[in-house]
Amino acid sequence: MNLLDIRNLSIELISDDKNIRAVDKVSLSMKEGEVRGLVGESGSGKSLLAQALVGVLNDKWHVHADRFHWRGIDLLRLSIEERKAVLSRDIAMIFQEPMACLDPTTSIGEQLIEAIDSSQLSGFFWQKHQQRQLAAIRLLHKVGIKDHKTCLKSYPHQLTEAFCQRVMIAMALARRPILLIADEPTAAMEITNEGQIFRLLASLNQLKNMAILLISHDIENITSWTNTITVMYSGQFVEAGTTSQIFSNPLHPYTRALVDSSPSANLHLPAKSRLKALPGSIPILQHLPIGCRLGPRCPRAHRACVVAPSVTNFHGHEVSCHFPLTSLKKPRSKAIKEVC
Amino acid sequence: MSELLEIKDLCKSYKHKNYWFNKKITTVLSPISFSVEAHQTLAIIGDTGSGKSTLAKILVGAEQASGGCIYLNGQALQNTSTSFKQRCQHIRMIFQDSGTTLNPSLTILQLLDEPLKLNTSFNEKKRIELIRTTLQKVGLLGDHMNFYPHMLSGGQKQRISLARAIILEPKVIILDEALASLDPSLRSQMINLLLDLQQQMGLAYILISHNLGIIRHFSDNIIVLSEGEIVESGVTREVMSKPKHKVTQKLLRNQGFQLNTKKA
Repeated sequence: MNLLDIRNLSIELISDDKNIRAVDKVSLSMKEGEVRGLVGESGSGKSLLAQALVGVLNDKWHVHADRFHWRGIDLLRLSIEERKAVLSRDIAMIFQEPMACLDPTTSIGEQLIEAIDSSQLSGFFWQKHQQRQLAAIRLLHKVGIKDHKTCLKSYPHQLTEAFCQRVMIAMALARRPILLIADEPTAAMEITNEGQIFRLLASLNQLKNMAILLISHDIENITSWTNTITVMYSGQFVEAGTTSQIFSNPLHPYTRALVDSSPSANLHLPAKSRLKALPGSIPILQHLPIGCRLGPRCPRAHRACVVAPSVTNFHGHEVSCHFPLTSLKKPRSKAIKEVC
Repeated sequence: MSELLEIKDLCKSYKHKNYWFNKKITTVLSPISFSVEAHQTLAIIGDTGSGKSTLAKILVGAEQASGGCIYLNGQALQNTSTSFKQRCQHIRMIFQDSGTTLNPSLTILQLLDEPLKLNTSFNEKKRIELIRTTLQKVGLLGDHMNFYPHMLSGGQKQRISLARAIILEPKVIILDEALASLDPSLRSQMINLLLDLQQQMGLAYILISHNLGIIRHFSDNIIVLSEGEIVESGVTREVMSKPKHKVTQKLLRNQGFQLNTKKA
């Protein structure tokens, strides 16, 4: 059974004259214990999608979906309180810039203890303080911080960024979530620290069978850590499939461009030659093109592209394009014939 | 002398003044020497605290070196005011985050006019003409000069900071993590632009970056810094394929690990 199953989720920004559709019909599904990467440039609505998942968007944003299931429960039918109870029990989220997310005036220990809910504790009230301390220390050990004494006492500014991110992960783990949403966990981090954080997430995924939704703007960074990848562009669904499908056989021109633009992916190119790049940049929300939003930048744009393409599925490799790239075209038409 | 920029025995250390009896001295850069030629790119890599940003700051003149010499075209650069002016004409820097390095209350015209006013004796008409051609050089329109920074996207802002760097026709540009915060497709555009400008204007780049993929593609020579010392240097391709020092091997492994699993 799918852990998370979302079909055609749209998020609209409500304004006076016209509603702006920031996220347009995005589908996302996750299995238990899966690591899924969500890739898109800045401004592609991936953080917005994550925030809608955990329900922290304010009233200005209007979220609606055809299907929004969490472990078989239809979240759209629940009242807000019930939904909150379900989501806060099972989903945890870590944000980018861990330094900014931690309270600078409180010590790490207090913040961590705050995150531990009392339903996990047993015994009389005088034992609970001790238990909370122990639980906090255990959490720190889980995320690989050995020196718990100094860490609990110190304030966020005294720790390095990677340590702060570890503390954030420890807080997220406090309620033993089934799904962890990591919104650019390693943005603006050194390479060595980046590796540490990804390795920690991977080990958590394997030891606790925790599903992880890994959000990043750089496809190159996360490919070695993910099972499946979803690509978004300007709020639209672009392509989804297993990591190898996306990386070795991209069907959408945008995915192709993303893969091509990472310098380590095209090692065969001679040094100092020109890299392939799409012209222009991502459109701003006020001036979104109609139909496929990649249209003005797409090298393969046709007349049909003014209508938003529907999603076609090929052996679990979903793509949303009228004219997908090469090789799979023939088998796809064959598959359609077989169905017919 | 063929070298454009030559650095000899440059070092930097800080003194802690509050210890009266045992004065402490922290060495950030122990004497290092290297040289850069025109049309070439030198990459500097290293861990946090290895002194690469300090080196960049000293080269551009934001900090003073404790010892050693910098030669530009065979001429030594001193820290006198005339030499400082000459230095900031020939060595320019692009910073990591273009969004915060542009003054939000000035238009692009005013932003690009500032270095011209301070360093040249052009009249207003000529300055505006120069700004227009520079904007076209970096792939923007001349009309962009009336915009404010917030009206431009991230990639365009980065182009503006590049325009500000090349407007005085420098010889050396220092890129301190200038490509790190850009989106992948914009980053490719930027790399292409930088390579084009290097060919047209004969610029030398000093590239400080974490991304070894970019370094491999972009640079001719490489320096590996560790705790203020050059532990390895040479032609990029050779160093990357056969790293000798432990630090280099570790840095490569951190990214090479990803590359290997990708192929599997």
